[in-house]
Amino acid sequence: MKWLIRRVLKRGKGAIQYEEEIHFGEILTIGRAANQAIFLPDMRAALEHARVVSVGRGKYRVESLIYAGVRINDHIEQSATVGAGATIEIGSTRITIVDPPKDYEAAVEVGPIDKDELKARAEASKLPTTLAETGLNKRRLSWAFFAVFALLGLLLPMLAHFEPATGEILKGSKTFGQGIWEAGEIGAPHHFFSQDCTLCHGTPFQVVQDDKCIECHKATKAHADQAKFPMYELADARCAWCHRDHNGPDGLVRQDQVLCADCHRNLTQRTNGSSQLADVGDFQMQHPQFMVNLPDWNEQGQYSPRRVSMDNSPLVENSGLKFPHTKHLVADGLNTPDGRRVLECDSCHVPDAGGAIMKPVDFETMCQDCHRLDFDRQFPDRQVPHGRVPEVLYMLDEFYSKRALEGGYDDVTAPVTVRTRRRPGQALSRQEQDEALAWSRQKARQVTESMFLGRACTVCHTVTVDAEADNGPWLIAPVRVAGVWFEKASFTHAKHVTMECADCHAAGPTPQNPTGGSTSSADVLIPDISNCRSCHAGEHPQGNFLSSTCIACHGFHQFDQPLRKVSHHESAAPDREDREPAATGQGD
Amino acid sequence: MHQTILNHGGYRYFWAAVVLCLGALAAYIWHDPVGVPNGGSWLGYTLGTIGALLILWLLWFGIRKRRYKSNTGSVAGWLSGHVYLGTSLILITLLHCGFQFGWNIHTYAFVLMLVVIFSGFFGVYAYLRYPTLMTQNRQNNTRTSMLQEIAEIDQACLQLADTVDKNIHDAVLQSIQRTKLGGGVWSQLTAKDASDDALSKLKQAVAGDEQASSGSETMVMMVDYLASTTSKKNENLRRLIDLLARKRTLATRVARDVQLQALMEIWLYVHVPLSLGLLAALTAHIISVFFYW
Repeated sequence: MKWLIRRVLKRGKGAIQYEEEIHFGEILTIGRAANQAIFLPDMRAALEHARVVSVGRGKYRVESLIYAGVRINDHIEQSATVGAGATIEIGSTRITIVDPPKDYEAAVEVGPIDKDELKARAEASKLPTTLAETGLNKRRLSWAFFAVFALLGLLLPMLAHFEPATGEILKGSKTFGQGIWEAGEIGAPHHFFSQDCTLCHGTPFQVVQDDKCIECHKATKAHADQAKFPMYELADARCAWCHRDHNGPDGLVRQDQVLCADCHRNLTQRTNGSSQLADVGDFQMQHPQFMVNLPDWNEQGQYSPRRVSMDNSPLVENSGLKFPHTKHLVADGLNTPDGRRVLECDSCHVPDAGGAIMKPVDFETMCQDCHRLDFDRQFPDRQVPHGRVPEVLYMLDEFYSKRALEGGYDDVTAPVTVRTRRRPGQALSRQEQDEALAWSRQKARQVTESMFLGRACTVCHTVTVDAEADNGPWLIAPVRVAGVWFEKASFTHAKHVTMECADCHAAGPTPQNPTGGSTSSADVLIPDISNCRSCHAGEHPQGNFLSSTCIACHGFHQFDQPLRKVSHHESAAPDREDREPAATGQGD
Repeated sequence: MHQTILNHGGYRYFWAAVVLCLGALAAYIWHDPVGVPNGGSWLGYTLGTIGALLILWLLWFGIRKRRYKSNTGSVAGWLSGHVYLGTSLILITLLHCGFQFGWNIHTYAFVLMLVVIFSGFFGVYAYLRYPTLMTQNRQNNTRTSMLQEIAEIDQACLQLADTVDKNIHDAVLQSIQRTKLGGGVWSQLTAKDASDDALSKLKQAVAGDEQASSGSETMVMMVDYLASTTSKKNENLRRLIDLLARKRTLATRVARDVQLQALMEIWLYVHVPLSLGLLAALTAHIISVFFYW
């Protein structure tokens, strides 16, 4: 095989000179040894560094003879099959395989690599030795982070605010859009519209306006009569002063004591005596005795409860009912038509569905088993209706008229006509009829009197007889228990189910006091403040008590007036410094 | 006593930070906000304002340190304040938000701030520790002089190897090709041993430390050769090995130098970009709070 080896020699001033030589052989050897076809006087070349073999069709196989390899087409290789144009580099020499000229089967060009190129290559192959050289760039990274957080934190939320269409798309996302601005979990009652920020936050950079609250909370009442108490705290107070949302599900309603105590601890002085409420600062340390609603009736006979302090003595409940608890709460039971029966509190006092109060005691289902309203020994199953006096009278009249007309009534005091049993269709004479009617009227009157004044009604009720009265002559004293004893406080039995009834209500005898209990329905069995204080104390209890702030029992928005009836613009509200209330009026 | 950024000015900024933290803590304990402690109480706004101003002042350090003509204190003093007051930010912001966190821009800003501060802690450690280590490692050389010496050793090795055997020459050539100093971020930080594994094994084998031929072919070949060749070549081979050992020491030292320098700098690639991210998040935090007041 005939190889052309063309040496490219660079002379000064860019001149190039070629030297050609011919090599015969299958293999073109390259190395620093003298016997190599291409001799390279370079320490970076091995004695026998590489060889090139033609594999036909213009292809050549280049093989390295040392582990270090040889640079073929800019890559260090152990071997490669290449065509014309391929370069083999060893040290600073470049061997290029070229198309063989005529008369040759293969050809290579051997020449030095340009010095600038060598230098550039050395620079390029040098690895970075500082972080800056690795392409890390603080400035670019800074801009990137700045841009990401400006986009997420400002641009997208604002876009969502000002562009409702975008807002609709981003709605609900916690990361993209207004969701990222949510400073804390919204209060539980507001959760269902928590994604509609603008429902509350109307105008940018403006605090939430009360109008937005009142759009939904229309029925919310004022705290006090704002016309009579034009105080800064009431007239100018924004809803959000107290109701601060985005503080968790339970954060909307203030529970702290200072909310109330701030004003109420010295309310008398603050209002120059206009308020008739007692000063209250703390349930344990500064709270008046409870005021209880006792049944009463005004001159017109309308129910009009009296609100009296439980310190009043004697404390008498005028319910119009005679009921000794001790006679009913007998440990070994009572004789009843159905045998021996032990009554418990819940035999009569059953909580209503809400658990707050008790259902009214019902005569028909709770009392009538024993306190039967029967009226005639011959007809023990017949009873008069309870609570409806005219019906009782009418029923007794009718009952005995029928007995008289039918006859066969077994009573020695009755006339013969009434006692005689008659055959069906047997007619009475006119005289007999008059006699029977007279008897029935007298009998009915007698039984009525016995019922009302003797064995039935007066057991529980006070009955007076007044023939002149509009609805007389039998007058039953009105019956009314308070129902709501504490008008200004909320109490629920449901939260106290772990207690025994007797813990608060001294109705019957107890193991500690077997002879105790209430013998009269005039006794008020509602506990006073000392009873509550055995468990509850103010916000910061002295001792092991339950911390109970004002809001545990009292509401704030409870004055019977819409919240914004008197706005601070309309009222004669004094400014912040001047908190003098109006001289008259009383607050609740 | 040696002045460092920590004891600058008699711990002036340390005490300033302590006073700031104790003041904030006392106010937080004393304060009885409406509802739970939160950023919307007057104390929340106050601490938030202090925190935001501190962050702006800390960011200003990046500008101040480049103002060589500035005479508002020394950069060392500024850095000392930067470190201590920056640290106090952790408490100030925790009290500002009343320990309320969520998936929102407000907490993002807080987390960014924490990452910036803790990367800064690494920076303080690096600045106090690594310059000494770098000086010890360089042993009165510069990196350029060490690199130059490596290049010279490479040349000398090739010359020596040529006098010994062509296979040895081949091995040395290979070693030169394999010697890589520096590299990507990870390579720089981990200081991957830049020298040829074969050389270390060869050195061990010659010293009799390792008889087992578990290493590369190069090593086995060179040790075999050492046992069988003539004294002149033997001598050259020993010199070659000494040179290669010296090269390895130098290469390791350069790699360590690159590593220490990278460690001194890498935290800044977190600290600075995230502090700019924090600036954006803080701006968004403040604007959003008042946008939806």
